[in-house]
Amino acid sequence: MRNDPIIKGWALLGAILAVFTMTMIVYYLIKSSLPAFLEIKGGLFDLNGEWRPRSANPSYNILPMILATLFVSFLAVAIALPFGIGTAMFLNFYVRRKTAAFFLSFIDMLAGLPSVIFGFLGLVLLVRWFETQLHMTTGECVLAAGILLAVMLLPYIVSTSYESIQKAEKRYMYASLAMGISKEHSIIKVILPAIRKSILASFMLAYGRALGETMAVMMVIGNSPIFPRLFGRAQTIPALTALELGSVEYGSLHLSALYAANVSLLVILFIVLGTGYLLQRKLKKYDEI
Amino acid sequence: MMKYSKRLGVRILLFLLGFSVITVTLGIFVYVFYKGSSVISLSFLLEGPSGIPIGTDGGVFPAIIGTLYHGLLAGLFGSLIGIGAAMYIVFFSRHRFLRNLIQVSFYFLSGLPSIIFGLIGYTVLIFRFGLDRSLLCASIATGMMLIPFVGIRAQKILQEEGEPFIKESLSLGISKAYAVRKLVLPVSFTNLLSASALAMAYGMGAVAPLMYTGAVLFANIPERLDQPFMSLPFHLYILVTDGISMEYAYGTAFVLLVLILIIHFFVRSIGFFREGGEWRPWKKKN
Repeated sequence: MRNDPIIKGWALLGAILAVFTMTMIVYYLIKSSLPAFLEIKGGLFDLNGEWRPRSANPSYNILPMILATLFVSFLAVAIALPFGIGTAMFLNFYVRRKTAAFFLSFIDMLAGLPSVIFGFLGLVLLVRWFETQLHMTTGECVLAAGILLAVMLLPYIVSTSYESIQKAEKRYMYASLAMGISKEHSIIKVILPAIRKSILASFMLAYGRALGETMAVMMVIGNSPIFPRLFGRAQTIPALTALELGSVEYGSLHLSALYAANVSLLVILFIVLGTGYLLQRKLKKYDEI
Repeated sequence: MMKYSKRLGVRILLFLLGFSVITVTLGIFVYVFYKGSSVISLSFLLEGPSGIPIGTDGGVFPAIIGTLYHGLLAGLFGSLIGIGAAMYIVFFSRHRFLRNLIQVSFYFLSGLPSIIFGLIGYTVLIFRFGLDRSLLCASIATGMMLIPFVGIRAQKILQEEGEPFIKESLSLGISKAYAVRKLVLPVSFTNLLSASALAMAYGMGAVAPLMYTGAVLFANIPERLDQPFMSLPFHLYILVTDGISMEYAYGTAFVLLVLILIIHFFVRSIGFFREGGEWRPWKKKN
């Protein structure tokens, strides 16, 4: 049969472009962040330093932003995890299958919403609530960003934990019911320990997702480059990049420092995501036995 | 055995958690629809923004069209490259190293925060190559983000639906590429299309990659690829953060949400019709 050059060419081109995109991004990340790492060195991660890129004597300390990013994401996952797992348990054990499937696809739709809409709602609902109910002068704070991010993470956590709960149910539920143990007892003492590891995996993956969230966080966190406090303003690295990118000059140390901040974030991100993927893969192997 | 009160406590806790999450989910959609629908009018949908400052009057028509153009173009870039690379992994690569390399690039790109694509797109396309902020630049930057989105899904689709065909075709002496074109692609066409449509919806909602590569506060409908354009999510972002008009922000959010939900429903209904939903009584089950 004759060979088909179009299909082969398409596949080859796609493969080359995908790899090219990755190499280009890595190349530019390294090349552009190198000046900052070489010239500022320890000043990038200084406990007492500040982020003042535009002053006459500029200093580029990205440590507050890194800590803020880690803090906000941790807060978000810590809030989302109990709600997500609880919802998954509720849908699996107390709701009929069809209704549960309906609600699941409904919650799933939340994942398709653009992050700007979340940011907008966070600003009009959450931040305003903080201002009126807690009498804060500005409601923009780390906690608001954490809660908002938690809502955005819910679909991932619900769907992944729903899956692992179903697996655990198939494996252990009949046995535990046959022993005459109540449903609630089995949920707490059998199902929950059984999905411990997959909770850890989904924690890691959700945390990785939260670290990179840009728009929604940027709109509610207040964007001050200072060390984060729960009820204070702060700034995450993606937000910093998005805000300051428009006003930097090409080849300046400022741009390089932005790159360095993103590279530091990526290093953390890939450690987190890598652990998550490894855990998930290990769990899959365990499931197949 | 647990005490009754403790069991009741667990049950109440789970009910509360579940109800709160479902309420929040419902609330988000209802809130946007409720607040947005009062702003929507024919002139809001069909006119360009006007007023001083701009955006306080008129409508969002150029932004709707700009978002669609941008989504289509970015989706096209992303899915052409993603599906191509996925085909290469599944059918054509002879070396494990190459397969792994592409796989790694998928996972690498999918892990990147969206702002990185804006950062790279801005430095490479605008600074390095000296292009203007334009529809093309924004679509390329967003397209890079969509490569893994389509690629990972396409790989799964092709592996599940295509591999049996390949074995049979090879045993009949048909070349692989011919079998892919005549058998695998037609069979998996709808699934690949859904993946691309979802990617388009994802690209349409993204702001970070196009903030500095092409979206502007006011522009007409782009006639060429090298013109800047208006984008709904960017418009929403500007309206909100610059405090231009909260009322119009609700309207913009509403339109954006509806556009994206239409695509999602379209994709879901494809899957539904293909798998044969149970509500179709005239279709006999095997």
